[in-house]
Amino acid sequence: MSILQDIKNAVRSRSIHVSYVDVGSCNGCDIEVLACLAPRYDIEQYGIYVHNNPREADVLLVIGSVTPQWVDKLRDIWEKIPEPKVAVAIGNCPISGCVYARRGTLTTPPVENYIPIAAQVPGCPPRPTEILNAILSVAPLIYKDYEEKQP
Amino acid sequence: MRSIVYYVREFLRPEWLKKFFFAKTAPLVTPSYFKDYPSRTEKECTACLSCMMICPAPGAIAVLRKKDGWEPEVYPGHCIRCGLCVEACPEGVLASGRILDVTRRDKTAFSSWYRLQVDDTLCMRCGNCCVSCPVNRQVDPQLAGTGTSASDEVIMRIEGGRVTILHEEKCTGCKTCENNCPNRAIRVARMVEGVQGEEAEA
Repeated sequence: MSILQDIKNAVRSRSIHVSYVDVGSCNGCDIEVLACLAPRYDIEQYGIYVHNNPREADVLLVIGSVTPQWVDKLRDIWEKIPEPKVAVAIGNCPISGCVYARRGTLTTPPVENYIPIAAQVPGCPPRPTEILNAILSVAPLIYKDYEEKQP
Repeated sequence: MRSIVYYVREFLRPEWLKKFFFAKTAPLVTPSYFKDYPSRTEKECTACLSCMMICPAPGAIAVLRKKDGWEPEVYPGHCIRCGLCVEACPEGVLASGRILDVTRRDKTAFSSWYRLQVDDTLCMRCGNCCVSCPVNRQVDPQLAGTGTSASDEVIMRIEGGRVTILHEEKCTGCKTCENNCPNRAIRVARMVEGVQGEEAEA
């Protein structure tokens, strides 16, 4: 049983669907995520598909320091994603607020306050390779003993 | 028929199968110009705090006191990898990518000074700034009260009822004047300029 489970999980973790949400970034990290989709880094060769639809996503990439308007909407998006799911914080902004973490700015980082974050990719912006590595390293974790832990 | 055999043979080649089933992109090499998070070299930190002063990201670098001397520490969630701390450090304590090689090759450096600015509409001529300034006190121990001074060597003094800045270049950037100003009329700004060539070596 468990061998079969392992095979199933291994196969599933090679078919990851990704959705990304920009909760108030400067677009630098968005462009690095976009570079992952382009032929040079080509995220699809690892079986990762970007549909940008939370209802069929496994991994949510959160980009940007959270602006107040996004606080409840981000929570909604996170709840729309079916189990199993993980969120990855891309860039410094969701981790610390980066250069926006000053007095008088209308941002409310970190994003961990609103949704659980499985991995953080620091950088301003991170390199596409780093984003790719983060997604690939959380992929096996998503399905790890997925069916066993279901009631 | 021959072409079918050719294709079957081609598709059974181990290299082809490996290429087909396993990851495929051109190797993701780090380019030579990539600057990673600054790492410490074995040079000794003198705690001049140039790195902290030039850092544009809040909370990205801190010079911490360790058992044997001071050590700059970079925080990845905050650092934007601009490399300014590496360039600004006069001792070469930090290294990142090829920044140090390039600054050495091009003979570039940062020169900094402090600019004093008094907002005349806010200033009420109390003279607190002139009296509190530790450099002023050293130059002219008689300086007190209203901030007038007979010495021409002080950084600033009250002349004819207003603050006159005489020797900006003597300012050490301690900001004692700023803290003692009741109206926030005086401001100390650290100015940084990139220089190249003989200027940088001096």
